[in-house]
Amino acid sequence: MDWKAARPVFRNAVFLFFFLIPSLTPAENPATLAGAVTDAAGKAVPNATVTARNNATGQSALTRTNATGAYSFANLPPGGYTVSVAADGFAAKDATVTLTASGPQTLDLTLTASAAQELPNAPTLGDLGFSQQQMQADPKLQAMLDKHTEMLKIHQRLGLITAIPMAAALITGPMAKAKGHNGQTITEPTNANLDFHAALGGATTVLYFTTASFAVFAPKIPDTHKHGAIRVHEALAFIHGPGMILTPILGAMAYNQENNGQKVHGLASAHGPVAVATAIAYGAAIVAVSWPIHIKFWEKQ
Amino acid sequence: MNRNLLLALAFAALPLAAQTESQWVADQSTLIYHMSHPMHEVDGTSHAARGKGLCHAGQCDFLIAVPVKSFDSGDTNRDLHMIEATRGAQFPMIVVRAHFPQSQTAFSTVSADLEVQFAGQTAHYTNVPFQRTAQGNEVRITGTIPLTCSDFKIDRPSFLTAPIKNEIPVRVDMTWHAQ
Repeated sequence: MDWKAARPVFRNAVFLFFFLIPSLTPAENPATLAGAVTDAAGKAVPNATVTARNNATGQSALTRTNATGAYSFANLPPGGYTVSVAADGFAAKDATVTLTASGPQTLDLTLTASAAQELPNAPTLGDLGFSQQQMQADPKLQAMLDKHTEMLKIHQRLGLITAIPMAAALITGPMAKAKGHNGQTITEPTNANLDFHAALGGATTVLYFTTASFAVFAPKIPDTHKHGAIRVHEALAFIHGPGMILTPILGAMAYNQENNGQKVHGLASAHGPVAVATAIAYGAAIVAVSWPIHIKFWEKQ
Repeated sequence: MNRNLLLALAFAALPLAAQTESQWVADQSTLIYHMSHPMHEVDGTSHAARGKGLCHAGQCDFLIAVPVKSFDSGDTNRDLHMIEATRGAQFPMIVVRAHFPQSQTAFSTVSADLEVQFAGQTAHYTNVPFQRTAQGNEVRITGTIPLTCSDFKIDRPSFLTAPIKNEIPVRVDMTWHAQ
């Protein structure tokens, strides 16, 4: 491989790597929040669910009040929070608080009885026969879901961004061979066109695998049986995934052959077809999860 | 004179008959939420709702609850995203308390005041109309609860960076029988 010629590709890859990684590691200084939950008569409300939701990030922490109605959160990142309390027989209540790292802060909350509970003999949640497991809060699962959603949102955004250099690389592939500086058709590639195409390919590769990592390493939610369009989306990854490994390898081989003054031959000649098949599978994967676009279109007709 | 007295007693007895205590249990339920996205119109369905009702002293209180997890929109990732956005693991149940005068149980349309607990928040909706159809010993109730994301401080779920509309109406179709 001609490392001098490949330098722009490497430079772009390094830039993208360092551009993306810092955004994933926020710095945090912990704050502490504590308080008590009581009813209108001042009596402690035990086992109430208390949630502290960071208004900026949407991340939330959950705890329950103890027998004396007390709750506490430790190690919360400073910032504005919405604190919500829910307890059976009471109307849910929330309050806002701004936490700083300076010291523990206190927020006491008073609940009022739910309107329906004020009537005698009204049915309660316990009358409906749901299991304790169905009704019990699961903060660990919520944290897992938060992480899952956050990573898949980044996966979606990066996936769309990746489509841009991928499409550009597909367009510039034939140009790397077909056109000279002054527009006339030539048989030999120009270095500028080749370098540009290689840089786009490199950027696509880095973005693709970064995108894929956010889906691959997203937490797996237990007791989930996958169904729907996501299965098609994932199945197509078995085409564009290997394609995205093969395409740059074959591209590097073709690049070397071109730079050595040879016509692209052997396995390297599969670079173009493999790249096209990969891009088609990648595009189909995006369309698969957007399928109802077409249903909606025909319904409107 | 005796005839007038009998008539007067009969009219006096009518409200008492209407205020007879009755208990109701939900047999079948279908709850469907609808969400609109620039690229998708999605319905999520649950058949897991349970309900009980009590009519007493001229008033009716009905309680309906459904696990957030039980809604199926046809795509696993979308359902997981909805559970996350609605904080369904922290607040696993959607609880609806309906309150209306017992006299309305004779009408084809029941207007109920609702208290909905969802995503750790409580919202109230007044005069929500439900259609009532009697079928033998069973009563079928259908209607739509006009939920919105903002009522429950839900960060609107998004797909391909575009969020859904604020409105997530829930269509209710439940069959009840008297105990």
